[in-house]
Amino acid sequence: MLECRNIHKHYGGIVALKKVNWKLLPGEVHALCGENGAGKSTLARILCGITMPDEGEILLEGHPVAWTGSQTARQAGLGIIPQELDLFAHLSVAENLAIGNTRLETSAWVSPRALHDAARPLLRDVGLDLDPAWPLDRLSVSQWQLVAIARALGLDAKIIFMDEPTSALTDDAVERLFGLIRRLKERGVTIVYVSHKMNEIFRICDRVSVMRDGEMIGTDACAATSIDRVIQQMVGRAVATIRREKVSMADETLLEVRAVSTRKLRAVSFTLRRGEVLGVAGLVGSGRSEVGRALFGLSPITGGAMTLEGRGYQPLSPHDAVAHGVALVPEDRQREGLISGMGIRQNVTLASIGKYSRASWIDRDEEAVASTDALAKCRTRFADQELPVRSLSGGNQQKVLIGKWLLTHPKICFFDDPTRGIDIGAKDDIYRLVGELAGKGLGVIWVSSELPELLANAHRILVLHEGRCVGIIDAATATQEDIMRLATGHHVPLS
Amino acid sequence: MTGNFWKYVKHHGQPFIGLVLILVLGTMLSPRATDGTIVFLEPGNLTDVLLQQSEVGIIALAMTFVIIGAGIDLSVGSVLAFSACVSALMLMVWNPHGPTVLQIGVAVAASLIGGALVGVLNGLVITRIHLQPFVMTLATMIGVRGFTKWLTGNVNVDLGFGAIPSGQFAEVVSSKPFAISLWIALAIIAHLILVRTVYGRYLRAIGENARAAAYTGLPVRGVRLATYIGCGALAALAGLIHAARSHQGNPNDGVGYELDAIAAVVIGGTALAGGRGSIVGTVTGTLVLGLLTNVLRLHMVDSNLELMIKAVIIIAAVWLQHSGRGVRDDL
Repeated sequence: MLECRNIHKHYGGIVALKKVNWKLLPGEVHALCGENGAGKSTLARILCGITMPDEGEILLEGHPVAWTGSQTARQAGLGIIPQELDLFAHLSVAENLAIGNTRLETSAWVSPRALHDAARPLLRDVGLDLDPAWPLDRLSVSQWQLVAIARALGLDAKIIFMDEPTSALTDDAVERLFGLIRRLKERGVTIVYVSHKMNEIFRICDRVSVMRDGEMIGTDACAATSIDRVIQQMVGRAVATIRREKVSMADETLLEVRAVSTRKLRAVSFTLRRGEVLGVAGLVGSGRSEVGRALFGLSPITGGAMTLEGRGYQPLSPHDAVAHGVALVPEDRQREGLISGMGIRQNVTLASIGKYSRASWIDRDEEAVASTDALAKCRTRFADQELPVRSLSGGNQQKVLIGKWLLTHPKICFFDDPTRGIDIGAKDDIYRLVGELAGKGLGVIWVSSELPELLANAHRILVLHEGRCVGIIDAATATQEDIMRLATGHHVPLS
Repeated sequence: MTGNFWKYVKHHGQPFIGLVLILVLGTMLSPRATDGTIVFLEPGNLTDVLLQQSEVGIIALAMTFVIIGAGIDLSVGSVLAFSACVSALMLMVWNPHGPTVLQIGVAVAASLIGGALVGVLNGLVITRIHLQPFVMTLATMIGVRGFTKWLTGNVNVDLGFGAIPSGQFAEVVSSKPFAISLWIALAIIAHLILVRTVYGRYLRAIGENARAAAYTGLPVRGVRLATYIGCGALAALAGLIHAARSHQGNPNDGVGYELDAIAAVVIGGTALAGGRGSIVGTVTGTLVLGLLTNVLRLHMVDSNLELMIKAVIIIAAVWLQHSGRGVRDDL
């Protein structure tokens, strides 16, 4: 049906796909698994003509094809249901279904009635019972996702890519989707099912392919493999886990979180001790970042309670959280962390500038001493502190953000995937820095997508799955497979 | 020291170029008096320009803060008229039978507080209900204008002459030394607040990236609210000068002042997107506009043509600053 040979793709210095060979059969449901960043989405995007490969060829029914954009791939019968829904919030459901669909957009003049008539069967197919005239922003996230699926159906695609289609769906919507997948399969449609959820994969897929670090590890029939084996393929057994010398933590509890719920968390409980590095593992959408948002006053807490140093802690805003000694290094450095046009020095002292001023008047000498000190502690490399912070590399930008919080002398620091997209040297500096912070008696909570990193640096690891805490395991004895098994929702311990 | 000076000119010099250009052009094109002196450069003429521009100049100072905080305030022209009318009413209609200073003081305080309250309203709605600054201040621009007209019955409130409080108020406040030095003093204070205080630092951070500023724990709402309060109060202060200079409170005055103030800020290199800007630039922008008007008026150039030339100046000034930075934020 569809085949790709030696697909190679790199972004800057990072290799996203390494000589990928892959084959899809007609009328099969084919699962594509892998950790975050393994290259699943890149592969799907290349096959659908959204991204161009650097090397390699794509064959459709035996004939080589060269996509010049997603339009040509769509005309050839490939549809992608993306992870990040590229729908239009202010347009109606019917208009969203029609956009880019040449069968529905036959002329410049579109009759609303014709659009609505065309939309209704598609909506029925995905089990959505709503008025096609409704604007999309009146719909729930789950309904959005179903509209996205309906849109791919409307294209009469022969191959449909579903990238994490159930991530925002309710349980009965998932059942309806599975029914739809079975019907599509009977019509001879091939479905590529990109997911982390092992239970779902083994329920509806015929074959499963595993990717790791941009490479295709293998393809097996679901009947011939097991959840355990797929997980092993995902994490790779060859990697020996390095365990760093960890500073022993104190017995004193710093933070206690009891059954805290937010919009995305469901009754999460854990304790953080003074001097502890608590890792947080989970797949994208599992609520990893939400733990930090709740702790930092960014997500309203709907249930449960927190105590910080024995006293009740209920942050109303980040301002409040900072006043209580909580710091957060956000996942998205550019949008949530840096004031990129401001100088390096101003960024480093932004959270603590009150300390270097009297009656609001900034003492520039004191500020300079403090920023120089913080930048040196974080081993930041820069030419001039006056230069805008955007002139720094990603790793050094991250160090500026960490330096900013060092100056506030926090009690708890939450790092949200701090080493993502930075070079090895800077990563190493950050590992050392986190160790030093814990050594000084801080409580560190560290979210990471890289399990070896957590195993090497954390004392314990909290694993989240769909907003629930599914386990807190000792990093000294745990393996990547243990974590991945929990994170994919496969609770039953395997011997 | 000289190194610092050149570094400063390099970083902040662009608005000065326009100022120097206008001064040179003005000198060259200026008509000559019968004794051969250059009319444009006469102290009387130049201080006339400063006095004329003091109203918009003071508003533009506050507008710079609002715009750096990624906001806009369209209500300043209406607040100016409101303040002029309130002060005129209090000086003419209200008679406390007390000392002159007291009556003037109360009238001034009432106008300033009234202006600040409009700012409180703008700021609270913008930061709490998240109405867009443009929409909210457009509404207050209309509403405050209506309120002022209702307050005065849509008639001018004339100030008196002589030793009565209103006459003394007009004489002092409209005098060149008072109005000009007030503007200069406020400009210096505004500059220092912007570059040397925690508040100024927070404002620039919030204007450039409000989300990151919030994630750093900065009091985003409070800082933004303060810019609108300051803008309301300074617009009211400009209204006092306006009342004194025109010797009346006219509920229909001040139309279009908000756009003059915004033009001065923009010519001065402050980015409408927020985060970046300077008081030095704004003062220069105000002067460029004032001197341009002056040069053209000395030549009796048609005021319609004057507006068209101003339009070209605004576009040219902002375009020069863009090309100077060498970075394009869009595609």
